Amino acid sequence: MAAYKAPLRDMRFVMNELFSGTTLHQLPGYEDMTPDVIDAVLEEAAKICEQVLHPINRSGDEEGCTYENGVVRTPKGFREAYQTFCDGGWTSIACKPEFGGQGMPKLVNSMVEEMICSSNLSFGMYPGLSHGAYVALEAYGADELKQQYLPKMVSGEWSGTMCLTEPHCGTDLGMIRTKAEPRGDGSYAITGTKIFISAGEHDLTENIIHLVLAKLPDAPEGAKGISLFLVPKFLPDADNTPGPRNGVMCGAIEHKMGIKASATCVMNFDGATGWLVGQPHKGMQAMFAMMNTERLAVGVQGLGLGEASYQGALAYAKDRIQGRSLTGTKNPEAKADPILVHPDVRRMLLTQKATMEGSRALVGWVAQALDLANHHPDPAVRQESEDLVALLTPIVKALLTDLGYEATNIGVQVYGGHGYIREWGMEQYIRDARIAQIYEGTNGIQALDLVGRKMPANAGRSLRRFFHPVAEYLEAKGDDDDMEEFVLPLAKAFTRLQQATGAVAQKGMVNRDEAGAAATDYLRLFGLTALAYLWCRTVDVARARLAEGANGDAAFYEAKIKTARFYMQRVLPQTGALFSCIMAGGASMMDFADHEF
Amino acid sequence: METTIKKVAVIGAGVMGAGIAAHVANAGVPVVLLDIVPAGATNRNTIAETAVEKMLKADPAPFMSKRCARLITTGNIEDNLDLLADCDWIVEAVIERLDIKQDLYKKVDAVRKAGSVVSSNTSTIPLDQLTGGLSDAFKADFCITHFFNPPRYMRLLEIVQGPQTRADAISTVSAFADVRLGKSVVMCKDRPGFIGNRLGILWILAATVEAIDNGLTVEEADAIIGRPFGIPKTGVFGLMDLVGLDLMPHVLASMVGSLPAGDTFHILNRDLDLIKKMIADGYTGRKGKGGFYRINKAGGGKVKEAVDLKTGEYRVSVKPQLASISAATEAGKKAAAALLAHPDKGGVYARRVMARTLAYAASLVPDVTDSVADIDEAMRLGYNWKFGPFELIDSIGVDALIAILSAEGMEVPPFLTAAVGKTFYKVEDGKRYELRLDGSYAELKRPDGVLMLEDIKRTSKPLLKNGSAALWDIGDGVVCLEFTSKMNALDPEILKLIGQAVKLVPQKGYKALVVYNEGSNFSVGANLGLAIFAANIAAWPIIEEMVEGGQKAYMALKRAPFPVVGAPSGMALGGGCEILLHCDAVQAHAETYMGLVEVGVGLIPGWGGCKEMLHRLSRSKVLPRGPMPAVAKAFETISTATVAKSAMDAQEKSFLRETDGITMNRYRLLADAKAKALALVEGYAPAEPIEFRLPGPSGKVALEMALGQFRRMGKATPHDEVVSMQLAGILSGGATDHTEVLKEEDILALERKAFMTLVRHPGTLARVEHMLLTGKPLRN
Repeated sequence: MAAYKAPLRDMRFVMNELFSGTTLHQLPGYEDMTPDVIDAVLEEAAKICEQVLHPINRSGDEEGCTYENGVVRTPKGFREAYQTFCDGGWTSIACKPEFGGQGMPKLVNSMVEEMICSSNLSFGMYPGLSHGAYVALEAYGADELKQQYLPKMVSGEWSGTMCLTEPHCGTDLGMIRTKAEPRGDGSYAITGTKIFISAGEHDLTENIIHLVLAKLPDAPEGAKGISLFLVPKFLPDADNTPGPRNGVMCGAIEHKMGIKASATCVMNFDGATGWLVGQPHKGMQAMFAMMNTERLAVGVQGLGLGEASYQGALAYAKDRIQGRSLTGTKNPEAKADPILVHPDVRRMLLTQKATMEGSRALVGWVAQALDLANHHPDPAVRQESEDLVALLTPIVKALLTDLGYEATNIGVQVYGGHGYIREWGMEQYIRDARIAQIYEGTNGIQALDLVGRKMPANAGRSLRRFFHPVAEYLEAKGDDDDMEEFVLPLAKAFTRLQQATGAVAQKGMVNRDEAGAAATDYLRLFGLTALAYLWCRTVDVARARLAEGANGDAAFYEAKIKTARFYMQRVLPQTGALFSCIMAGGASMMDFADHEF
Repeated sequence: METTIKKVAVIGAGVMGAGIAAHVANAGVPVVLLDIVPAGATNRNTIAETAVEKMLKADPAPFMSKRCARLITTGNIEDNLDLLADCDWIVEAVIERLDIKQDLYKKVDAVRKAGSVVSSNTSTIPLDQLTGGLSDAFKADFCITHFFNPPRYMRLLEIVQGPQTRADAISTVSAFADVRLGKSVVMCKDRPGFIGNRLGILWILAATVEAIDNGLTVEEADAIIGRPFGIPKTGVFGLMDLVGLDLMPHVLASMVGSLPAGDTFHILNRDLDLIKKMIADGYTGRKGKGGFYRINKAGGGKVKEAVDLKTGEYRVSVKPQLASISAATEAGKKAAAALLAHPDKGGVYARRVMARTLAYAASLVPDVTDSVADIDEAMRLGYNWKFGPFELIDSIGVDALIAILSAEGMEVPPFLTAAVGKTFYKVEDGKRYELRLDGSYAELKRPDGVLMLEDIKRTSKPLLKNGSAALWDIGDGVVCLEFTSKMNALDPEILKLIGQAVKLVPQKGYKALVVYNEGSNFSVGANLGLAIFAANIAAWPIIEEMVEGGQKAYMALKRAPFPVVGAPSGMALGGGCEILLHCDAVQAHAETYMGLVEVGVGLIPGWGGCKEMLHRLSRSKVLPRGPMPAVAKAFETISTATVAKSAMDAQEKSFLRETDGITMNRYRLLADAKAKALALVEGYAPAEPIEFRLPGPSGKVALEMALGQFRRMGKATPHDEVVSMQLAGILSGGATDHTEVLKEEDILALERKAFMTLVRHPGTLARVEHMLLTGKPLRN
């Protein structure tokens, strides 16, 4: 199996050099988060991911989860790993101290999440879903519910789920049928069937807390009539230990393409006892609080898997000797040169490297904005940061899972036939990565969210939070000849993005199908341009460090500049093709009659 | 047009009488306003005088300019009846009591000059009763002139003539009302409520009782019998709040007494305890403690509440959620049809109310009038309906309406049966016809001096056209530039068409251009949505192009080798005001509201508005000489976003010149503007380029000090200061001084620079965003 080393050097670069990780502790609430504290956290996270989670990744995939009579067993080693995970406090790092959490910044948490996803995505699903439930409950639950449930969820003793999807509806949740009947004592009887429930049933925790979307008897039609309920697997006793079994059972688990060690369950609610979370009929609001966090986390999954695949492919390309370099022998001591000598192998590896490091920078930008949105004393800064997060969330989710999937695919290609067999684990990354493009809102839905919701919201204010800094950057760098090779491609892509934005908005207003037809290409154009901007900023930092002497780290900064160059010359030009597709409009698709397909 | 009416008298200084007098004064005609002497009064003219004083403070203002009040001579009917001796028209607007009116007529008849016209503003007493027992000479000079409230703003005037009324008495008053007062005159027969109230009250009654009977909330009712039918969004309950609930019992009582048995009115009318109780408790509408809606300020908040029609209690107002209302919203222009076809209770309500109302309209022919066009005009102008009832029937279809009536068990009036298979209006060879009771069509002709662009558009093709503007040949060598964009917002397409028009006019041998449209507002300014979108994506060059493009287009109009006349009506704000400032002359509808309001969205006039205001004010005869007074006045006008409240007010504020014309009747605006343009053709030369001498930095300092005062008084917000400082920089001429001559282009460059600085400012973007989202200015 390919080894995994947490990319701590690059994470520190993103946190402390590219963004304001070094000044996080100046924000109210983050006083203790000094760089050395954060560094220690990352070191420890790297250890558990590399030494505990990574070793059971492939075995977990081989064994999968098993289902018998409503009981789900996770693969060998998962229970022990989960215990170690909880003991290390990793379930609590991004939770509030008042519920026993460590209150770590988002910026730190997203780095830890990346390591978990790289080392064992299936495992990460369990605490990941718990955290989603924590977010929704913390934001919208009544105090009593929060006091009762959150501490145990934060400690990892209890886990959580999000029960949204039903057999006949996923994207269109307005059609759900699960019912909630008031019992008159403040509780509700929940009845219905939910499918695709990750971590819906398992043997890692003593209790499972389901957050369930259901309709009250007087609910208005559609998405405006959905409420959110908390339904525990075991009803807690007076001393808050799991008591009698509630009316919720796992009916089956799915047999999937990937993330096989993550239990994906059919959950049957049969008059199960639940409590309302938030206001009646306002369940979607609570759901979105969770969904936005989850969408960023899913973007990070793409990054984590792409990074793991890159590491595997790089090691293999250096190790595997085969044939000779096109321009003469490079490794005369051996019978063949390592395949790293080949331009095409380099193209593949650098595509992985440039897109994954760019993705990490993007995650850093958004995570930092989340920290500012939640902790900055100035309401104007909080507002601006919220806008940026809202705008970039669909991009992080869709772009990073697409790029991550592409990277895992490249990883198999570098390995050749050895990538295609299971032994090296390279094909598992593809299978695991595939779901991230689908769940938490398919990437097509993310693109519609971007053009249909985020673009027009508040008269387009959110756009400003991206376009203005980039435009200001381009203006400031206009005369910097040394930066021209980076700034010019960015300027080109940015102009395309501006024109495409105008065209999509204008055409979309007249005909919404036009916006829909452009959406996916537009999101990628936007995302690649964002990465180009971050690569330019990366080069600025690298050049400054090199000018200062680089403190023995010159190779790292040199590589950054070279990777940026590769990105500008070999990845960013995609924006030209995307631009052409967007500007061509949707007629070539919409003119098709159904029977002509 | 000449008129034989040179002086008017109004007797009765209540809301209507005083309002009529004020509006006659608005027309520049001297008017006598008399009322009774109240018991024990020391000032015997107190009622009329107080009425005038009140009107000077009222908002919306009955006067177009405060100076109009000087044309009113106040008095009382005991001491001053001699003032009527030289009046050509005497309007009676006293209390609705026959004995009092008749007593007054006798006194009036004794002092009035021969051939003067006497009219009553009654809304409830039949004409034959009013003139009963009076002399034949009086009867020959008498008619009913029924104004709507408020008289300045409501364009409908119903006139009823008696069997003995002289034809020229009617034509004299009609012509005066049309040309001088700007009213649209509708002739009615002597029937209760004439057209407007007869139909309007039935509609209100039907909408009220059906809402109660079908269990609709007031919000639901107003959302249904409102926008979807082109009726103002106040609907029916909101409308009652506006006019006052306490008016209802009187109006209904008069109808009960005067309408014949069998009239639909009697089927619907019944005592409504809820309304009785509301009136008794002081809930008479907006003028009282609230009406069907109120704003509850208890607890320091502002909560909109509505009355529960079942319990009579107030509850928090909720947005109506009916499927029929959503269906209507989604149907867009076909909202009425979607509602009428919907199965839910909103659909039932729409059918019962509108079918009843439309059928009743059809039953008014020939009872009240022979003309469906007159009924439509009355409802459009008297109730602000976008479409008259017969226009609505045509859009629904006569057959469809009959089907609804039959299904609801309502009577089908004969005129409607006669119209089966036809439409009430038809257009043939560009001419408009209306259906008459006998099944024939009669041509609808415009009066002399009325030219409507809608007629021209129906019969010809545009010379130029794009998505936001068009250019039309309006005859005699004159072309008309029409804005067609949403809300007539100015955008690059309009600017492009201006450029094309300036080339086309001389090329094709046209002589003059009129800027005119028939929207409810001339233009409320530049398309802010486009601007902020460009700003949000940092597309600064696009914005700068828009600014420069507007400047170039307006300068091209100004420098064009042919006369350009602006003809605004309604709001002409921002860029809509600036285009008028660049015209050779303006012929404005009296109800034109001009202003440079850019600061409200954190910007400055960037299409030559600063430049033109500086120039106009520098030529003002009122301001002291020297460069500074004009600069200071322009600063005051623009920095406070001053909007003129009438064309007359616009002249006083220098948005219009003394030589610019004012047209009282909206329908006559285009013809007047065309005449003005043609008058300028002979020997036309474009205005000489302006040369400015401005104070420069020292002047800017002076404006800064003035601004400081505003700030200390708490009148200027932080971003007001940012914007005002940019404005001060333009108006003082930038880095210049008195000795230097600046060209128009220099000031335009200053405008552009300031505009581009401001449009990048977060404070400005926040203002634009807020305006687009809420329609209200942000005071940041």
